[in-house]
Amino acid sequence: MTAMAGGPVIHDPHTLPVDDNVNPYAFSVELKGQWFLQKGKMIAYYGQIDFHGIGHGRLDRLVATNFHSPLHAADWVVAEGQGKLLLADRAYDVNSFDLENGNLTIRSGNLLAFQPGLALKQSIIPGFLTLIGTGKFVAASNGAVHFVEPPIRVDPQALVGWADCPSPCHHYDHGYMRGVLGGLRALTGIGGTSGEEHQFEFVGAGQVLLQSTEVLMPETATGGVPASAGPGVPGAGVPGAPGGQQGQVPRLPGQLGDLQRRFGL
Amino acid sequence: MPFTKINSKMVEAQILPGQRLFSQRGAMLAYRGEVSFTPNIQGGQGGIASMIGRRVANEATPLMTVEGQGSVMFGHGGHHIHTIDLSGETLYVEADRLLAFDGTLQQSTMFMGSQGGVMGVIRGQVTGQGLFTTTLQGKGSVAVMAHGGVIELPITHQGPVHVDPQAYVAHRGDVRNKLSTALGWRDMVGRGSGEAFQLELSGQGTVYVQASEDKL
Repeated sequence: MTAMAGGPVIHDPHTLPVDDNVNPYAFSVELKGQWFLQKGKMIAYYGQIDFHGIGHGRLDRLVATNFHSPLHAADWVVAEGQGKLLLADRAYDVNSFDLENGNLTIRSGNLLAFQPGLALKQSIIPGFLTLIGTGKFVAASNGAVHFVEPPIRVDPQALVGWADCPSPCHHYDHGYMRGVLGGLRALTGIGGTSGEEHQFEFVGAGQVLLQSTEVLMPETATGGVPASAGPGVPGAGVPGAPGGQQGQVPRLPGQLGDLQRRFGL
Repeated sequence: MPFTKINSKMVEAQILPGQRLFSQRGAMLAYRGEVSFTPNIQGGQGGIASMIGRRVANEATPLMTVEGQGSVMFGHGGHHIHTIDLSGETLYVEADRLLAFDGTLQQSTMFMGSQGGVMGVIRGQVTGQGLFTTTLQGKGSVAVMAHGGVIELPITHQGPVHVDPQAYVAHRGDVRNKLSTALGWRDMVGRGSGEAFQLELSGQGTVYVQASEDKL
């Protein structure tokens, strides 16, 4: 955002960056071969590029080796050809990341595109996708991405993804609901909640990606686990979107309900 | 100074034992160490009387107390964050713009009418501050939210600073403010410039202006 003095910068196919950001909100891919894209994230392109839906056809082999999320198939296309491809998503900050023989799990709505060197898999955590292998991928976030190292506890809405460390666990914190007053508060709901009772806790070695706000990007279909997955598969048999990450405090026994809302407290 | 800027929309605060920090509820993004977040019924400092005062004044933003040992990252709603260090002055700011502030700061509520009587009240209506605004006084840091980036404009005795009421975020120091109107016959016939009301600040201090006319 520095070279804005002389008006907008005019790009042509040769001056567009190669696999780099054009500005904080748009990313230019130099396409020589194939890339996976989430549908609707391409804003412009130069050159000869075909977009194929993922399904049965001549891309069967590629899809079979690199795309292991049948539930997301409808949301993804393969761009094939030569040229420059511009990606953007609702003016969110866009960044590219390189993986080398690594793994990274990311909120499914935030992933825009990835190179076929990476294999896309559904994470065991509902709503997240895991990328394994070597290559580049492009992700969007609400506000710039900040990398932190575990141990750390993260607001569920601020979490974009994590790399190399073990999957997180839930952390509940009701420390202030102690004693007589705390009990009264828990019983009636008066006084409200801090909204920070529930975090994802990360331990181990790796990196956690945070976005700068707790405003979630409108989520594209995250894909649950098919009910037919059978016993032992987390989330199986629970149809519907796994969107219950709103930091709801579990209702304690004997709680009168949301009295505070009635009193406007 | 407890706040470290991570990027334009995120700050990190160091929490040390025995020190308190107030923050807007739900604004925590992540934390390290043992930190507890306690919802604050009173919506800030002071006793029950202050709480009732804030409720009446509609300056009661849900706050929580942050205590413990560690570091906490704050961000809220995708708004830009600006940190202000106070060394004894008073900061005038709307309660819902407060992201977090040091527990060492004295928080109170001020009636707009006490600065300029009826005109102060009208000014409050135009700037969207309402009848009351929040003041913070003492030594410490404040993180305020704004839509778009924040610009600091110094106010000196050389002349007043005019600010669009919708772009006004906060001000500090020994500042008198009044609403200056530039209403002409064009405004009456609906051909106004849209800039008929301005906030005129004079004295010695700083005014914080956001790069947008959107309210939070």
